[in-house]
Amino acid sequence: MTPRVVCADGAGLLMDYLEDLLPPDVRAGIDAHLRQCRRCVAFVTSYRETPRILRSATAAVMPAAAEEALHRFLAGRRR
Amino acid sequence: MPAPAAEASDEDLAAQAAAGDEPAFEALVRRYQHRAYRLAARLLGGEAEVPDTLQEAFLGVYRSLRSFRGEARFSTWFFRVVTNAALMRRRAWRRRPTQSLEAFLPSFDAEGTHAAEPAALEAAAHVEERLDREALARHARAGIERLPDLYREAFVLRDLEEMTTVEVAELLGVGADVVRQRVHRARLMLRGYLGDLGAKR
Repeated sequence: MTPRVVCADGAGLLMDYLEDLLPPDVRAGIDAHLRQCRRCVAFVTSYRETPRILRSATAAVMPAAAEEALHRFLAGRRR
Repeated sequence: MPAPAAEASDEDLAAQAAAGDEPAFEALVRRYQHRAYRLAARLLGGEAEVPDTLQEAFLGVYRSLRSFRGEARFSTWFFRVVTNAALMRRRAWRRRPTQSLEAFLPSFDAEGTHAAEPAALEAAAHVEERLDREALARHARAGIERLPDLYREAFVLRDLEEMTTVEVAELLGVGADVVRQRVHRARLMLRGYLGDLGAKR
């Protein structure tokens, strides 16, 4: 029998669920819960998007001046 | 004859550099500098101290190349040096207390059902539509800064730099389960934080 899952259980196991690391019966319980819980569908959507949004928002690009300064510094120290 | 720098593996370049081949070291720096810059900026919560951190890190790599014996992948060894340089720098800061993100963890009623409505639960996924790029970047850095240190390190390496759980575990010297638990907690907190930003506007 598929174990009964409530939202709090699913939230705690979400990373393992998304990476397919859960035992089949636990995964089936979460699948069954997601089919009838709009709150959890919304929660999963935002949980999945969070790393992508933050990755995109924090991708600093090395300025050319910093690159030149680094190479100048290292050349000076290696002499 | 050594392979040209563009084709040589990291480990070959490291061995050549350790033997005194300056162009090989230069090639390694060029290969890794951009990713090192981005990683340090994420660990430090901004770019102000990144140039000094990279100087320390690359100089440390140069001086200890002979101790790199190829047991680990060069990239793992290298990113450990950069990560440690950034974390040492953070430890020297006189820290102002930051407001915890605990309040952004999901809340449930007595039956274990999400307390919030679906629209609020999904709000984090729509924050890019509500904030301009600059504001989002500022808030993103501020939110990540509010994570507990151990969660921030794991989250930055695993989710922002997209290393595998095993690589992060090796780099931080903890078990894979510990990495997963820290990353999951960080995601839960940051999801709530982004949701709050998205819902406010």
